Amino acid sequence: MSKPKILIDCDPGHDDLVAILFAAKHLDLVGVTTVHGNNTLENTTRNGLISLELGKLDDVPLAKGCAEPLAQVQLEVAAGHGKSGLDGAEVPEPARKPIDQHAVDFIIAMAEKHKEELILATIGPETNIAMALKREPRLKRWLREITVMGGSTTTGNFTPAAEFNIACDVEAAWTVFESGVPLRMVGLNITRVTGFDEADIARLRASRKRAAAVIADLMEFYLGRTRAAYGLKVATMHDVCAVIPYVYPDLITYLHTSARIETAGAYTRGMTVCDLRHPSGSAAPLLRNRTEPNALVAVDVKSRELIDKVLDTLIEYD
Amino acid sequence: MTKFLIDCDPGHDDAIAILYAAYHLDVVGITTVFGNQTVEKTTYNTLRVLTLAGLDIPVARGCGRPIIGAAPLGDDAHGKTGLDGVDLPEPDRAPVGAHAVDFIIETAQAHRGALQLVAIGAQTNVALALRREPRLAGWLAGISIMGGTAGVGSLKPMACVNVLSDPEAAHIVFSSGVPIRWIGYETTRTVLMTLDDIARLRTGGRVARMMAEIAAWYRERQLAVNGIDGAPMHDSCTLAPFIRPGLIRYEPVPLAVELAEGLARGMTIVDRRPIPPGTRLSSVTPKAPANVEMAVAVDRPALIRDIVDTLLTY
Repeated sequence: MSKPKILIDCDPGHDDLVAILFAAKHLDLVGVTTVHGNNTLENTTRNGLISLELGKLDDVPLAKGCAEPLAQVQLEVAAGHGKSGLDGAEVPEPARKPIDQHAVDFIIAMAEKHKEELILATIGPETNIAMALKREPRLKRWLREITVMGGSTTTGNFTPAAEFNIACDVEAAWTVFESGVPLRMVGLNITRVTGFDEADIARLRASRKRAAAVIADLMEFYLGRTRAAYGLKVATMHDVCAVIPYVYPDLITYLHTSARIETAGAYTRGMTVCDLRHPSGSAAPLLRNRTEPNALVAVDVKSRELIDKVLDTLIEYD
Repeated sequence: MTKFLIDCDPGHDDAIAILYAAYHLDVVGITTVFGNQTVEKTTYNTLRVLTLAGLDIPVARGCGRPIIGAAPLGDDAHGKTGLDGVDLPEPDRAPVGAHAVDFIIETAQAHRGALQLVAIGAQTNVALALRREPRLAGWLAGISIMGGTAGVGSLKPMACVNVLSDPEAAHIVFSSGVPIRWIGYETTRTVLMTLDDIARLRTGGRVARMMAEIAAWYRERQLAVNGIDGAPMHDSCTLAPFIRPGLIRYEPVPLAVELAEGLARGMTIVDRRPIPPGTRLSSVTPKAPANVEMAVAVDRPALIRDIVDTLLTY
């Protein structure tokens, strides 16, 4: 059987870089598209190209996407990734350029080319995906699945209720979550506790590989930031969690249920309202205010095993 | 000595909470409100519970509707009467003449600085009392609240009946400045009276046996509606810190009630982000000051044992 095909829409970002390198080793990475979010589109595009060059992924095209959210005010850049969006390592400016096609058109073209086969990973704000779904109504039938890093079943990070990727473009997230495409959502409840500590970074360095050394520098910076800014214990590997299930299906546990985007709300705009009541069994029909399941929502993770698999993969790069 | 006033909507777990409180604490009054059922039914149920146990506590009937809009009742969990599954005696007493809102104010004034309010239904009475008498917030020693959730919900995916019943009232109470102990549904739904506990209650006197029937019916219904195998003692959790200090651990958190119309209306939003104090970042909204002590851990077996032991003394 051939490898699953995946397209990653992202805003690199330290953890985005890891997600790209992890996906490229295990899956058929048909392309990378960039979007505003962790940093400006210019910087996330540059950082996407750096990620591809670091992994010598010369055959993976990169298309530049939307610089702004659909409707709302643009949020400030994320604190965790530094000024460039990928601070912490000395890396040369990328020699490669993005392809001429816009990300929205590229997503549609790839989905049409790989009908019912393509997994679309959205690990930044969902602006490009929402635009593509509106631009090409058939896209929702062409996609195999959309895998989302975003939201939370518990606490957010941008606000108490909302996670940053969703908060960056709430209307886009709503569009994606209501699209009818099979969704897989991994949120902060999982990713907040899944990341690299000092020992993991030391393991990257000890490999004496060129790419791993650069990644170690990046992660050291990122670990410092996630601790200082967010009070977290690890350099959170949010984005790779959206890719993991296609390689190691047993590391994250999902619940098939309803996950909806709150677009109103004085305190809750951008929240992923997930129904963690009892969606299966005889009890379900008695539950009130139930909506149709639209997503596999991640509810449990084997963090240590997951991170070890990611490290194993990163060390494979020269 | 601290006095207690319970504002409630019995309700199976309310009935048990009343008896748990009355044995250990100086309960100077009970006020009723809609929620698990209409206020007519919750008042009738309160009177029946007090009659059963021979408890001489004044009851004042309160509000039957939320401040704004229509009230979703929690009748799926408590049945048509609000206390289905048991044949309690007819009341041998009537409510006092005063409305619950006035009764709360008068009681707080009489016991200035010494009254703990225990709010375990919709918070309409408490909110209106706070608005009616601005000095009330200063008179109360505290409010112990069951309602809302910081996780899984009951009537809605991430919202629970006591706050959903009257979100505006909950907002008034949570922002009142009164010291608040808060326990959410995500925690109370795990404090369960099991079949073994119910069997133990059945070995007791008339009151304990009636409470066993209440718990048994409630467990059956919880299993059918929520997939929970046990009778959750939501409301008794609010009393534990006064009866058995140490069984519940609390942490200060900011809590806000979502009032906007949308998926999240009626949700309690707790800020448990671990962001270090003083952090000022563009991509992280600042943390509001803590306004409640949130229950974060419960010694479940010890609390359930204490409730069962108490009911067996009746």
